[in-house]
Amino acid sequence: MAHHSDSEDDDYSYEDDDDDSEFDEEEEEPRNSRKKRGRSNPDSAAARGKKRKPSGSIFIEDDVIVDDDEEDDEDVEDGFIEHGEADHRGEEVVHRQFHEPTFRSRVGAEEYLDFMQEKYSKPRAQYDDDDDYEGGEELTAVDQQALLPSVRDPKLWMVKCAIGREREVAVCLMQKAIDRGSNFKIRSVIALDHLQNYIYVEADMEAHVKEAIKGMRSIFANHKILLVPIREMADVLSVKSKTVELARDTWVRMKLGIYKGDLAQVVDVDDVRRKVTVKLIPRIDLQHLADKQEGRPIVKKKAFVPPPRFMNVDEARELHIRVERRRDRMTGDYFENIDGLLFKDGFLYKQVSTKSISTQNVTPTFDELERFKKANENGEIDFVDMSTLFANRKKGHFMKGDEVIVIKGDLKNLKGWVEKVDEENVLIRSDTKGLHNPLAVNEKELCKYFEPGNHVKVVCGTNEGATGMVVKVEQHVLSILSDTTKQHIRVFADHVVKSAEVTNGVTKMGEYELHDLVLLSNLSFGVIIKLDNEAIQILKGVPGRTELVIVKHGEIKYKIEKRINAKDRNKNVITVKDVVRVIDGPNKGKQGPVVQIYKGVLFLHDRHNVENAGFLCAKCSSCVLVGGSNSAADRIVDSFSRLGNPKPPAPVPPSPRRFQRADSAGAGGRHWSGRGGRGHDLLVGAYVKVRMGPFKGYRGRILEVKEKTVRLEHEARIVTGKLSPLHTLLVARDAIADVNENVATPSQYNMGSQTPLHPSRTPLHPCMTPMRDSGATPIHNGMRTPMRDRAWNPYTPMSPPRDSWEDGNSGSWGTSLLYQPASPMRTYDAATPGSGWDSSTPGRNYSDAGTPRDANAPSPYQPMTPNSASYLPSTPGGQPMTPGTDLDVQSPDIGGDAETWLMPGILVNVHKAGENINVGVIRDVLPDGSCVVALGDRGEGETVMAVQNEVRLVCPRKNERVKIVGGKHRGLLAKLIGLDGSDGIVKLDDTLDIKILNLDSLAKLAHA
Amino acid sequence: MFFHMVLERNMQLHPRFFGRSLRENLVSKLIKDVEGTISGRHGFVVAVTGVENIGKGLIRDGTSFVTYPVKYRCVVFRPFKGEVLEAVVTRVVQNGFFAEAGPLQIFVSDYCMPDGMEYQAGDMPKYTSSDGSVRIQKECEVLLKIIGMRFDGTEISCVGSINEEFLGLIIDPAAVA
Repeated sequence: MAHHSDSEDDDYSYEDDDDDSEFDEEEEEPRNSRKKRGRSNPDSAAARGKKRKPSGSIFIEDDVIVDDDEEDDEDVEDGFIEHGEADHRGEEVVHRQFHEPTFRSRVGAEEYLDFMQEKYSKPRAQYDDDDDYEGGEELTAVDQQALLPSVRDPKLWMVKCAIGREREVAVCLMQKAIDRGSNFKIRSVIALDHLQNYIYVEADMEAHVKEAIKGMRSIFANHKILLVPIREMADVLSVKSKTVELARDTWVRMKLGIYKGDLAQVVDVDDVRRKVTVKLIPRIDLQHLADKQEGRPIVKKKAFVPPPRFMNVDEARELHIRVERRRDRMTGDYFENIDGLLFKDGFLYKQVSTKSISTQNVTPTFDELERFKKANENGEIDFVDMSTLFANRKKGHFMKGDEVIVIKGDLKNLKGWVEKVDEENVLIRSDTKGLHNPLAVNEKELCKYFEPGNHVKVVCGTNEGATGMVVKVEQHVLSILSDTTKQHIRVFADHVVKSAEVTNGVTKMGEYELHDLVLLSNLSFGVIIKLDNEAIQILKGVPGRTELVIVKHGEIKYKIEKRINAKDRNKNVITVKDVVRVIDGPNKGKQGPVVQIYKGVLFLHDRHNVENAGFLCAKCSSCVLVGGSNSAADRIVDSFSRLGNPKPPAPVPPSPRRFQRADSAGAGGRHWSGRGGRGHDLLVGAYVKVRMGPFKGYRGRILEVKEKTVRLEHEARIVTGKLSPLHTLLVARDAIADVNENVATPSQYNMGSQTPLHPSRTPLHPCMTPMRDSGATPIHNGMRTPMRDRAWNPYTPMSPPRDSWEDGNSGSWGTSLLYQPASPMRTYDAATPGSGWDSSTPGRNYSDAGTPRDANAPSPYQPMTPNSASYLPSTPGGQPMTPGTDLDVQSPDIGGDAETWLMPGILVNVHKAGENINVGVIRDVLPDGSCVVALGDRGEGETVMAVQNEVRLVCPRKNERVKIVGGKHRGLLAKLIGLDGSDGIVKLDDTLDIKILNLDSLAKLAHA
Repeated sequence: MFFHMVLERNMQLHPRFFGRSLRENLVSKLIKDVEGTISGRHGFVVAVTGVENIGKGLIRDGTSFVTYPVKYRCVVFRPFKGEVLEAVVTRVVQNGFFAEAGPLQIFVSDYCMPDGMEYQAGDMPKYTSSDGSVRIQKECEVLLKIIGMRFDGTEISCVGSINEEFLGLIIDPAAVA
């Protein structure tokens, strides 16, 4: 390079690495002439030419060390140029040039440097005056500005040349300038190390440049010569110096070799030779070394880098590796010398070039430092070690309000709070008395400070993003208890900030998210339980044991998105989010919602579990579903399967719902909405409509039933609205209607189809059924149903609305259904043999019976059962409350019909299975509905017990004495005076009134 | 620390509850709603002890619900940093143990235990002191000091320490038995 900047004594030192120290004497002279002054004074040209010739190469400097304020140099040059240019000053220039060596020879290097600096720092104006050596004025910024090139100054041209020939071209041009003298009109040539393919030529005109480069081999003359804009001229020569601050104990990273990327600590710096001694954790294959020393053939394994391991001298000796112990002359420390490598305390001490280490952005991780620390005897990473960490602080590292501690200087260990942050200095306020607040402290002397109990978030390093609570503070190292994993994390105080939020750290990495189910490359699968910056931790789907793998991103084949169901031990379908309990295997007793299902393996999340982020995997067959399933489909199927019960005579419920209720009644509670029990489960999956509250009118599927609330999945969107049980209940009733339409219709058909069958079975049948009821209903129905309605309906919506609703609803099916749902009857039936179909018949019977018997409806009901007396008076109270009670009022009548059949003193046909029909007289009616019948026309035969459906009334004939067994006049005696179809005309004994009553309510009186 | 204090809450009531027992309904609903919950500033609401005043109901537009401002007295349990509590150890893990003081769960890290406490894995994981005199395992009662707390809406997470004088094991049911 033919141009170089100055004011650095290095540049002029004699021991400059170049090959030209023999030219010492002439050195400083050409320094001035680093501009080849093509147009300088012709007189002196020859003389100078001679001198320069040998010295030319001296100025090809390898190391360009240029200050930031380059302008200084530049205008110095300008100054020279002007000198050279001004012909009339030629004398002085020459004079000066000859002066300097003499000057130089007289003074020492330092003085010389001073002189040079003084000289070059003078503004141009002073050169123009002749007193160059005087005038020690300070250079101001404005002056500096004035020194920048202007339009009047020569320009810089960029000339293209062959790659790698830049310097050569520059030297050639210089030679040419020397040879050609004043004809050569360019002023300087610059070759920059960092710029390949181009050189800069300083000249006034492009033509001058062209002329100068004409005929040069390495210059592409036909290539366009580019003008450097004035503004950029200064930049051409300013080189941002990389100030490499290498101090002892700083952390660096190796750039090359097997240690590439390894952390090293600087032990010694040799500025002169640009070498540093670093301390490393050795990566040495001892076996390999031993083999080498013993001359055994070495198997070359390529791409094998031994893992970093501390050198163990004893181990080395065992392998017969020669270990010498030497004392370092300089430091007095002892080193082990193995195969030319120096070790101490297990570390490798290595001398490397400054170029082979990187000092920028070295952020030692905690682990790395820990390893260094381990080998240290004192085991302390002190704050000095942290300096490199601090060097990499981001801007805005400290924020107002941060708690900090001073770690260096007089105020060491002073704690305070950040008040304000200036560039480098941080103003802190502290509690300590006697200090003026706020105090300005250099940023580098501060470290963040936390106390146990602080909630913090990690902002850099491998644990970035994690949050937790500080549990221990050891100087600058914090132990944090992670919020999510409940594990300890050790981080530098510098890497965390106070934070209130809770995060898991990284939750997403590429396409994979935390808790995703993934397929690994070896076809095993698992759930991601932790994501790191570079690794993914996976809980493998191996039931029965916990298998964790840490994989890299690439080892995951793909994410399994399928939603698969599984069946638990009881063959219940398990879907994702169902809560299951593990009843087998090592995880027995654990419970939690299912997160993923794959190949019959469930991944549960048990939040009480700390290990593996709470995840565990289990075979589906070793789990049982807890509570209700969230899936509706299987429920409905379930219900149907129960509907299709293989007991044909079993009551066919009008809907699955109804059946469920019956079921729960059997379990002891009449209402499936009652507390606890399986009833809850049965609600799940039902389609319901919300009847009140803010979600009124919404329809959806019940997802979950809690004690008080249900969760609905809205048909259109998921509204997980909370509803009170009442709502649920009412909703559920609505839902029955819905379900009926869709689901339960077949069963209704069933009923329908059965109904016509019924009368056809036996003509007697319609007559018989009422009799059976006569015993049962008055007691139960009369007492319970209406009372319940009255007593509960207005205030306690829990059960009554259901009743009332059912009443209303059943009304649409026919009044007869009214009693059917009443479970007391059912329980009663259950105790009765042959109730198999009976239990479901009353409804149908009534509808049949409705026609023939309605006439009888007004019947002497009250006198018969004292119980009902209590019922009747209260009925009016009930009536206005619910329309349903209207039906109730009527129903006792119908019930009354049914109840009347059995009365003492009447003649009946007893038809026991397998026996002939016998005529008998009822002697007594037992409360359970059965009766004592004395066989024979007059009751003269043996006495038998008969249940109500085994007895049939004997139809009276004209002019026979009858007993009215149904309707208003129940119990009265009368004489049948005529028959009119199904009606009989009777004359009451008491009043002698003539009444027309249904034949069914007339029983032939036994002859006394 | 327990406090007896007056809190206020806006209760929403369905008109179906209107009537003579409105007040009772309101109170029972209040108790159901607030007992056992965590309010950010006051900690756990342990029990409602009485109702101070029920304000005028306001019918909410769009729904039939009526909002009543209810002032009630209640006992709250609010942990404080630095507070010393008795707690029962519920779980011992590798890096510390969990203890419960009423509704509050506290984690005591092994960093916050006296020196020499060692984790012993096994069926019944425990921490034992070097001389074996102290053994902390499930069901033990310990005296601990809260060193850090975090309120998180519906959860309070606490970190405690037993590394101080007079702190640590108080009752070891296993030893008593």
